Amino acid sequence: MFRWIESSALSVWTRESTSVLAYPAILSAHTIGMAFAAGVNAAIALRLLGVSPGIPLVEMCRYTRVLWIGFWLNAASGVMLLIAYPTKAMTNPIFYLKLTLIAIGMAIFAVVTRQLGREPALESWTLPKKRFVGIAALVTWGGAITAGRLLAYTYRHLFAGS
Amino acid sequence: MTSFQIWLVRLLASVKPVASLMRTPWGWPIAESLHFICLSLLIGTVGLFDLRLLGLARRIPIAAMHRLVPWGLAGFGINLVSGLCFLMTEPDQYIYNPSFHWKVLFITVAGMNALAFYATSYRRVTAASASPDAPRTAKVIAAVSLTMWIAVMVAGRLLTFYRPVPCRPGESASLATCIPGYGNRYWK
Repeated sequence: MFRWIESSALSVWTRESTSVLAYPAILSAHTIGMAFAAGVNAAIALRLLGVSPGIPLVEMCRYTRVLWIGFWLNAASGVMLLIAYPTKAMTNPIFYLKLTLIAIGMAIFAVVTRQLGREPALESWTLPKKRFVGIAALVTWGGAITAGRLLAYTYRHLFAGS
Repeated sequence: MTSFQIWLVRLLASVKPVASLMRTPWGWPIAESLHFICLSLLIGTVGLFDLRLLGLARRIPIAAMHRLVPWGLAGFGINLVSGLCFLMTEPDQYIYNPSFHWKVLFITVAGMNALAFYATSYRRVTAASASPDAPRTAKVIAAVSLTMWIAVMVAGRLLTFYRPVPCRPGESASLATCIPGYGNRYWK
């Protein structure tokens, strides 16, 4: 299966094309998407932790669109990176840790945004609850980014059969 | 400029303890992860503030949104330190790298652009009586800021693809993009 993907034209192009629009552009897009997705999460977390109480939480939902743009940009660029090096990622346990952390991060985000729409709900959260959710979000996204970076150092097989 | 680059490489390489720490198995990956985390913090604060100036989430007071900015500045400060750690470990991989030259240029423009914001617009947009719509100057500054930080990320990511190679004999330019005197790595 990995061997088949790796020998496909798209995989070879993504990996081996000398065009700056191939692998370099996909990696850049993945970084930009990361910054906006994790960035909006960080902003919401900082707000929950008490930075800038003057920002109405309901209004922060305007920025969730930015998060989703970053998320989908990364889902798409991530799939491209996976097509380029399927064995490298799929045989590395840290890749699954990264996906799990992103899933947890998005679940926390979903809980918060469900409340963002209804004005009093989130404001009425107790301080410890706000802090817990804020810190959990920061730790999760920090962990997801770290796991992502570690993928470059911890892979065991670059290609199928290698 | 080339002699300045050679001098800079020697200077950066002379900080040995940082390089030996960075060369431990976890040194580089940890510094890199931190670099990416703080970059996200910068975009999540300064980037979102820029988007607010451009008119997104108009009901958030600009002054309240600005409270996030110091956190982005802290993130930038940490990245300056982790960035210096990379430079002190592999100086020639950055100082002769065209992508790094662009990255420094973009960061400089972003910095001067931020100073321009505080000089021209900060007081007006954060005043108690400020309109929810930022003036045009502030919007232009915000657009430049977003563009520059995205450009910084792209240039940073492209570093790997523009790694400098040793200079060929007689090759020279005002700004070196190849490693001069690679054969005799005098700074090691």
